[in-house]
Amino acid sequence: MSSHKPPVRNSLPATHAASTASAPKPKPNASRAPAKHTTTTTTSQGPNQHSSSSDPRHLAIALHHAHRIQHQKDTEALILDRILDLITLPSSPTADPANPSATDAHALKSALIPFQPSDYDNLIQERNIEGHCGYPLCPRPHRSENAGPNGSYRITWGAKGSGPGGRGRSMNIVPRESLEKWCSDECAERALYIRVQLAAEPVWERRAADVAGGQEILLLEEGRAAREGRADGKGKARCTGEQPSVRNVTGQMENLSMDVDSAGREPGDVAGEMARLSVRDGDRARALAMERGDAVEGTWGDGRVGVRVRENDLGAAAAVAPRMRPGDERGGSIEGYVPAP
Amino acid sequence: MDEDYSTGSVDSDREMTRLWRTWRTVFEMLQDRGYEVTEEEVQIPLTEFRIKYADPMGYPDRNKMKIQARPTEAMSAKYTPLPSKSNPSPQPDCGTIYVEFCADASGVGTKQVRAFNHFVDENNFHTGVFITQTPISPSAVRLLGSLPGRVCEHFQEQDLLVNITRHELVPKHVLLSPQEKVRLLERYRLKESQLPRIQVSDPVARYLGLRRGQVVKIIRRSETAGRYASYRWVI
Repeated sequence: MSSHKPPVRNSLPATHAASTASAPKPKPNASRAPAKHTTTTTTSQGPNQHSSSSDPRHLAIALHHAHRIQHQKDTEALILDRILDLITLPSSPTADPANPSATDAHALKSALIPFQPSDYDNLIQERNIEGHCGYPLCPRPHRSENAGPNGSYRITWGAKGSGPGGRGRSMNIVPRESLEKWCSDECAERALYIRVQLAAEPVWERRAADVAGGQEILLLEEGRAAREGRADGKGKARCTGEQPSVRNVTGQMENLSMDVDSAGREPGDVAGEMARLSVRDGDRARALAMERGDAVEGTWGDGRVGVRVRENDLGAAAAVAPRMRPGDERGGSIEGYVPAP
Repeated sequence: MDEDYSTGSVDSDREMTRLWRTWRTVFEMLQDRGYEVTEEEVQIPLTEFRIKYADPMGYPDRNKMKIQARPTEAMSAKYTPLPSKSNPSPQPDCGTIYVEFCADASGVGTKQVRAFNHFVDENNFHTGVFITQTPISPSAVRLLGSLPGRVCEHFQEQDLLVNITRHELVPKHVLLSPQEKVRLLERYRLKESQLPRIQVSDPVARYLGLRRGQVVKIIRRSETAGRYASYRWVI
């Protein structure tokens, strides 16, 4: 039995070390691991190499976790590379962010698949440091006003009629940095439109189907065009068979706009959740009315409340007196501890 | 006009003094880590620093401020791993250090870090220290750590304004060599994972440039025992 073991013991740590050597691991001396394990059988040199090589299952678990961490690191490196690529994006300095070239748009969409919203924020920050507008398809420089020492907030006014009660203008106080990320409000809208479509969970926790196929990221213009196409189809009762892909996409867009958090889930999931949220169905409507005090069930109309008394039936078993157990005559145990007589 | 000039000079004075303090802390840091620096370099007075590194306007010229230092024998010995069967004569895991002050006053991103990484790699420095005036972006931090086989660290100027290890409440931290580490573990019959721990991101660990897996000895004053040593494993 033992004659079969050494090759297993020796070869696996070596592969482990080979897979871990490229990046630092929580395990401190991964690079020295093979030397240690091979010498285990001959000499005993350190205090701590026996336990790690004794059980192949431990090794398998360690390997599994090491591979996962390695995968995670690889993905982070990939995202960093993509950020560096996207900093330079619109390939021509005269590109129009409202009407980007197909190659640029495709490059952006494919690069953004593994991104989380936080990675996207990093990308925007990097672009701003380089002086570009935060929207990756916009070649213009970002806004910058030379403010005084304490000009860190700005007041923005909404459109006419956007104020409280439909009168006046709405007012917002925003930090200057969030205004200076973009070249214009349109670019801000475009960039944030993409941001809400990114999946919140990191790519190594997503399901394979989401990463491979998943939902394609849409630019703001495409989203608008799709929505308009749909409105047309509805209004004129046109034959809708011609644009199945667009309708598909708009269906997804609806899910997105309703519930940003569930962007990564199946459309069916989202629909179910929307149904749960709606207050039209009977039970929930009644519960809500009760909570609001609109219509309280069981009142007699004149303010008195019907009271129904229900006995709390605990079962007919009579109470049983405690019985003596062996050892109780000496005082018994105190929470399991039996004091010496 | 006169007033403008005077406020400008006060400003430049202030910045020069702050940078001088940072500069001295950097040298103290190199000395404490065990690099070859002379006492004159560490003790440089403000006037001399101003003559050397000020531009005509009186503001510091960070492009001139670059430091290189080689490790001393003692440091090389400390960083040499134990000889093993596969590697009977190990090389010390340390080498020339290079310190650069970034001249950009705001927004340090991947561009500057990439240039720094490239310089460190091209000149074959073992360690690079990148010192900026403002925080650097998260992707820049990640990029700085991605150079294979080299160690790149980042500090902000204001982190080094005072030398934290000279504070009376900060105990003395001493890095153990691999031999000392083995001896310690044998003496107390420990695995290294049974030691108390210290994070790599701990301010003193950053100051000393500690790496994962090393063991540091912390010597405190104790009212009852005079001196008290504890050991921490860097994770």
